[in-house]
Amino acid sequence: MGHVDASAAAAAARDAKKKRGNRSSAKLKQCKLDARREQWLSQVKDGKEAKASTSPTGTEPNAGSMTVPSPHPPLPRRRVDVRSKGGDPEEDREERGAARQELGSSYLDSPVHSPSSDNSGSVGGMHRKHYNNGGGLNLSSSSSVWSSSRSVSEAEDDDTGGPEEENGVLDDWEAVADADALTVDDCHSHQSSGHVAPPAAPNVCTAPANQTGRQDPIQRTKAWAPDDIFRPQSLPSISRQVSFPASIGNGWMGAAQQANLSTPLTCPICCEDLDLTDSSFCPCPCKFRLCLFCHNKILEADGRCPGCRKEYVAARLSRSCSMGPRY
Amino acid sequence: MVDVSRVQKELTECNRDREVSGVSIALHDGSTISHLTGTIAGPQGTPYEGGTFVIDIRLPGGYPFEPPKMQFITKVWHPNISSQNGAICLDILKDQWSPALTLKTALLSLQALLSAPAPDDPQDAVVAQQYLRDYSTFSATARYWTEAFAKNSSTGMEEKVQKLVEMGFPEDMVRSVLKSVNGDENMALEKLCSG
Repeated sequence: MGHVDASAAAAAARDAKKKRGNRSSAKLKQCKLDARREQWLSQVKDGKEAKASTSPTGTEPNAGSMTVPSPHPPLPRRRVDVRSKGGDPEEDREERGAARQELGSSYLDSPVHSPSSDNSGSVGGMHRKHYNNGGGLNLSSSSSVWSSSRSVSEAEDDDTGGPEEENGVLDDWEAVADADALTVDDCHSHQSSGHVAPPAAPNVCTAPANQTGRQDPIQRTKAWAPDDIFRPQSLPSISRQVSFPASIGNGWMGAAQQANLSTPLTCPICCEDLDLTDSSFCPCPCKFRLCLFCHNKILEADGRCPGCRKEYVAARLSRSCSMGPRY
Repeated sequence: MVDVSRVQKELTECNRDREVSGVSIALHDGSTISHLTGTIAGPQGTPYEGGTFVIDIRLPGGYPFEPPKMQFITKVWHPNISSQNGAICLDILKDQWSPALTLKTALLSLQALLSAPAPDDPQDAVVAQQYLRDYSTFSATARYWTEAFAKNSSTGMEEKVQKLVEMGFPEDMVRSVLKSVNGDENMALEKLCSG
């Protein structure tokens, strides 16, 4: 499986280089991507049936993808069909609908703790997040917390969607979400068949020949298995948290954000580590940060900010409420 | 009590780039961390160039919320430093101290003070008068004091020892007294005579 992934990735990269021209237009679609993702998330619960009944002609690449208000461009469905072509298309679609419903409900309702269905939710969430990153920032995201190899390849994957249709980038995250739900639900049989089958794919889905190349990146963009040898080292192991922005703060993103904000990690006065309360404590407009302990000591003495030597007037007045929970 | 972990961090931090900054800090003796000895290199382009100035540092119990007490051990001819006892007139060592400052920044401030005297707010009125009225004499005196007291005290030490021994004092006593006054020949003579 690892070898298949490797060749697929290489093919994706080659494919992407040819089509790099439309990257800027792909970037411009990022806002639409976000909007559609929101839409998709909101309709995941109630819009399943309508979507499941969509005609298979939706496999046409440009079929109303921009004009039809449907939150789901047809492309992801086509891809999933390709991936699961071993089975009956109709049956598969229903299956996927169910999977999606499960994905949606688990993703929205049971954020962290549900064992199996949550797995699909968090995996999908991770990919959405990642596409948000890689698609929006493209290569510049290589300087972020994502490993360069991962983000570059993602960016290239995104590029492959650009030239073929206007909202190619938009499709990717949805396709990934679909694929994730599918693969989790249908176990690995579809995955393996998907890997060996690409040459036959055009016959099944009536897609143009050049789109066969696109299937590889899509397949490759399914969730990294924990033991996948291509899994980037820097990819956090807490993917579950990654899917929920509210809980990001205490994970690896917390450290990254702190670094971005150039918050000192230790109190400049006593050299002790700043805890969570301390690092969100900013008593002076000059932005000089210090731990609550030292701040309190200063207030007992001359009451001036060590950074600007101005009186801590505001802090002294609001002390009772701002520091109330501590006491 | 003195914040030991912070002081230790400061010592490491300060001595890491002593070659570049020209300031360094060491424990005065191994026993206590509240008594330190700082050294600063005389800034270039000043009468103090080439000298190494030793500063006695005592950390009060409230450090870093109270300023460290600093005093020149090396004799300096400077409007803001007492020529008698080395007391320093510098605002950041008094009311303008901030806990965000460190021993290193304080020593660097002293270095800057050597470069830019403030005769309008003098510590030593005589020196300040000379600085304002007769700068060339001030400059010559300051350079002489740097040569005499702030240059490597081991050079010329043997000559001083020789001189004092010839006056009839025992050599070991001459050496210990010279060391205690940091190589100041006249003060050593004074001590030897009184002692």
